[in-house]
Amino acid sequence: MSRTPSQTIGPFFHESLRWRDGGKVAFAAKGRPIVLAGRVFDGAGKPVGDAMIETWQLSPTGAPAGAAPDAANPSGYGRVETAKDGSFRFETSMPGGALPCIDITIFARGLLKALRTRVYLADEEHVRADPYLKPIAASARLKTLIAAKSGDSEYRWDIRLQGEGETVFFAF
Amino acid sequence: MNDMTRQGAVDPPYLYPGYRSTTLRSPLEPLVELAQGAFDVPGPLVPKSFVRDQDNDLTMHGKSAPLGEKMILTGRLVDEAERPIRHSLVEIWQANASGRYHHPGDQHDAPLDPNFTGIGRTFTDADGWYRFVTIKPGAYPWQNHPFAWRPNHIHFSLLGNAPVQRLITQMYFPGDPLLPIDPVFNSVPDETARARMVSTLVLETGIEGIALGYRFDIVLAGAKSNPMGL
Repeated sequence: MSRTPSQTIGPFFHESLRWRDGGKVAFAAKGRPIVLAGRVFDGAGKPVGDAMIETWQLSPTGAPAGAAPDAANPSGYGRVETAKDGSFRFETSMPGGALPCIDITIFARGLLKALRTRVYLADEEHVRADPYLKPIAASARLKTLIAAKSGDSEYRWDIRLQGEGETVFFAF
Repeated sequence: MNDMTRQGAVDPPYLYPGYRSTTLRSPLEPLVELAQGAFDVPGPLVPKSFVRDQDNDLTMHGKSAPLGEKMILTGRLVDEAERPIRHSLVEIWQANASGRYHHPGDQHDAPLDPNFTGIGRTFTDADGWYRFVTIKPGAYPWQNHPFAWRPNHIHFSLLGNAPVQRLITQMYFPGDPLLPIDPVFNSVPDETARARMVSTLVLETGIEGIALGYRFDIVLAGAKSNPMGL
């Protein structure tokens, strides 16, 4: 059987896809709290104020997120909408594993199919060595996948959909 | 199996000039191909408590029944090998019978219906089936081009049971005269793929004298981790 095609999320999804505490990522066992925050921009450098961002990551111990029996939302999974200025913010726990990273999916009006990427909370040297990124290990664009640490626990990471500084997106 | 379904085979391109909003939001660089199976890992497990009784009946949340043509919407969620995607979250949203969304951004000059928000969610059952009770959404004008009207449609968000299965799409209605001129629908290049977004009228799944039945089956990418769910 062939897949059902993708279509845009459109501009009117907010109330229907908004999850209570969607930006507070739960785990069965909480780890070191961190914040991942940033903004989404289009090809003209304007903020994308009507996107939905989803996150998926390993638990703080490095195990798959599994179930968090007491949580209202899925463990390890976050979902927020961007504000008018294109900003988004997740409160989560530092992902476990050798190379902490968070998988990102972006939906928006004007995106007929979601965009997939991944943000690394690690330094460039280690990110370049990640076998997952082998196809772009030598690319200057790899830097678009690395968050900037700001303070003790906050990571800043912007998403550029098009043009200068365009974020690396993955085929799927 | 994933390679079969990669970008280009089924989905719309990112840049589709007929849909103006794609112009500045589509990446210019080629997508990076990762090793096969990169997204074929277990996905989020949604707690059962996330869906309440009646969340799948969009006609029950006002003081009285919403305006419009009542319909029973059923379908089956399967993967490419036709295996059911079990206990998986289905979220829908739609305009009311007048073609107006319960959303502050919708400035279309058509009435809101105090008895209809157009929001539903449910889980598929152990055989992949879902069921909603709703009303047929109206068509509505948008700003894309002169005389642009979206065909009647219902938005679907599917989590699947693995990230490779995550899909947001739209369900359309058979025989809609706006379909041949809708850029969002026609952004899907292949005609048979477009046809898979059109529901079918199935009288037997309706309720005699009360509601029409529409069926919309959804096929998500295959995943090794597929048949699990909660």
